[in-house]
Amino acid sequence: MAGSQDMFEAIVMADERFHGEGYQEGYEKGSSLGMIEGRQYGTLHGAKIGSEIGCYQGFAFAWRCLLHGCTTEKDSKKMKVLESLIGMIQKFPYDDPTYDKLHEDLDRIRGKFKQLCSLLNVHPDFKVSAEGSGLSF
Amino acid sequence: MSWFRAAPLAEGPGEEGDVFDEEADESVLVHREWRSHMQRRVKEGYRDGIDAGKAVTLQQGFNQGYKEGAEVIINYGQLRGTLSALLSWCHLHDNSAALISKINNLLDAVGQCEEYVLRHLKSITPQPHVVDLLDSIQDMDLCHIAPAEEKIDEAKDERFYENNAEFNKNCSKNLSGVDCSSLKCCRTQERAHSESPSLTWILEQTASLVKQLGVSIDILQHLKQL
Repeated sequence: MAGSQDMFEAIVMADERFHGEGYQEGYEKGSSLGMIEGRQYGTLHGAKIGSEIGCYQGFAFAWRCLLHGCTTEKDSKKMKVLESLIGMIQKFPYDDPTYDKLHEDLDRIRGKFKQLCSLLNVHPDFKVSAEGSGLSF
Repeated sequence: MSWFRAAPLAEGPGEEGDVFDEEADESVLVHREWRSHMQRRVKEGYRDGIDAGKAVTLQQGFNQGYKEGAEVIINYGQLRGTLSALLSWCHLHDNSAALISKINNLLDAVGQCEEYVLRHLKSITPQPHVVDLLDSIQDMDLCHIAPAEEKIDEAKDERFYENNAEFNKNCSKNLSGVDCSSLKCCRTQERAHSESPSLTWILEQTASLVKQLGVSIDILQHLKQL
């Protein structure tokens, strides 16, 4: 009787053991698969944000230079908006996907950028190619 | 896969002889059933393991890729933004069409560079999997021991399996080591001979353009990272 009890336990244990063995192997494979898949998505999303923020940043810095020395009242208004945009961009942690106000801040930056463009009376075209790269914003 | 070598090991020494001795044929059947059940358990475990492993690393991979993508691409964005500012400046001041089309060409060139870099950023990730390689080797039946030949000395068998496992472990260690270093090497090479030449060219062109416009070269100061 004791022998068959052991057998029974052995069978149940084996069940667990084989499942565990497969699990171990699958876990390793899954870990590396997840890493690869995650990285691919992450790279795309990060690049998208980086591209957009970079554009605003380059645009704002360049215009700060271009407006340098302009001293009319209208120019000082432009400059104020420009500085405020630059400040927002510099505070924005564009490379941190865990930042909880990412979308909120991004929308504020976009709004400020639009305001600046209308003040400058320009319609910039960043020429972000829509096809393939997935970088359009 | 491991169940090929694991399943035969499952029966303890003498089990077949002691319990199923009276009905030899039946024992083969039972044996087969047991094997297929255990194989199924291993497969189930494998699937569960894949899901669990993926769940753990997906976010980690995403965060890593995100940071890298953002850090690399922001430089191209800055160049693009600077050129766009110059373009809008030209439009405002009615500069010559030649200059405007030059800026447009440069913007296109930046776009191409950016796309190229992004493609390579994405494609450095897939690397050959040691597990896959080992699987295919095992599928070739090189290490497979047919169930009918199981009567050989159990202890000897076990040693063989141990060695085999050890070998596999070492193998994966070595291979992944090689993977990493060659990957890094690949990456730096990519940086060296794909990004720089055309980007340098774009930057030079932009600098001469800035001079032509009579704007201070300081306008390109923030692009130093490129």
